[in-house]
Amino acid sequence: MRTRYLALAAVIATACTGALMAAQSGPPRPIYPANAEKASYAELDKLPDWRGIWQPNIGRVGGDQPMLIGQYKKRYDEERAKVAANPGYEIPEKSNNCEPPGMPGMMTMPYSLEFVFAPGKIIVIQEAEMMVRHIFTDGRPLPNEDEIDPNYFGYSVGRWEGDTLVVDTIGTREGQRLGEAGITNSDKLKINERIYLDKDNKNLLHVDFTFTDPEVLAQPWHRNHTFRRDRTWEILEYVCSENDRHPIDAEGQTKAVF
Amino acid sequence: MRSLVARTMFAAMLGVAASLAFAHHSFAMFDQTKQVTVTGKVTDVQWTNPHVWIFLDGAPAGGKKERWGVEFTSKVHLTRRNFTSDMVKVGDDVEFTVNPYRDGKPGGRFVAVKMANGQYYCDVGQAAQVFCQTGKQ
Repeated sequence: MRTRYLALAAVIATACTGALMAAQSGPPRPIYPANAEKASYAELDKLPDWRGIWQPNIGRVGGDQPMLIGQYKKRYDEERAKVAANPGYEIPEKSNNCEPPGMPGMMTMPYSLEFVFAPGKIIVIQEAEMMVRHIFTDGRPLPNEDEIDPNYFGYSVGRWEGDTLVVDTIGTREGQRLGEAGITNSDKLKINERIYLDKDNKNLLHVDFTFTDPEVLAQPWHRNHTFRRDRTWEILEYVCSENDRHPIDAEGQTKAVF
Repeated sequence: MRSLVARTMFAAMLGVAASLAFAHHSFAMFDQTKQVTVTGKVTDVQWTNPHVWIFLDGAPAGGKKERWGVEFTSKVHLTRRNFTSDMVKVGDDVEFTVNPYRDGKPGGRFVAVKMANGQYYCDVGQAAQVFCQTGKQ
């Protein structure tokens, strides 16, 4: 009798699990590229040489000024006024307490970048906070905005135009730093990057950003950054939560924890 | 061990701006228009990210002896500037110069340290360079 009950329980459990799995499975996902199993590492030889570690040229940013609108302009003006009135004030940002800045902030931190090429994908490593970003170069289209749950790094698709990598990113969560402290993005942000070696100096890398955000900016905002190559360095470990003794509260006040 | 001159040259090549940049918070809590020199004995060396910390029992001239905390930049940046985790050790007699906390807490941002043998290690910021080249007498 006991054995019969156990068998019945097993049948019911199997049926329930099957129903659950059916409910969770969606339409089949496409494989990119369609010939993925034949993807060739030899194809990577055709790409420009970006090996080495890229150190930012801090403080040397080209481009134009942001034309902020609405609540984003109001907040920026308020935050700048607070800084001017109190030099000890820290503009509250999501990244203050060791949370990863995500995109686009991770590309322009005062720490080094490394680009790793793989068939169909480029991986960008940001040394600070050990961030990793994935850029798909396998021909897949950029998803629709409503297909992405907003996240730190968004969703990036890239393509090569000659020796320039052109990357489009959407799906970043709102409230991350956009360009500088005091400016944040909405979830409508679109980031376009053009990344290329300087034509006269192969040890200089350009990253030209165009930010488009209809809730934040009256017109696209251009920011141009450069990086210099070091072939001798390695990316070093950086765990931000290892010993953060300066937590910052929501009012922008820094606490020192000894 | 590299000489101070060599270290200074290397720092200058890296660029002064590097010391002003930050990853997750600024150094707004320190008054960078002021410098305080504290003499004492090292009690703890934390060679860590996001920032390196050294603690000492010490006092500024005419002040009382307290536990002071000195914040450096990250372990990553210091490594690239050829600083090492054993440059300053627990038990060393040192003379730290810092940009002090605005709120009076006993601590500050690293500017320079004078070791017992007279050797200096200096940050890359402009104020630190000026201090190490002209103001350390």
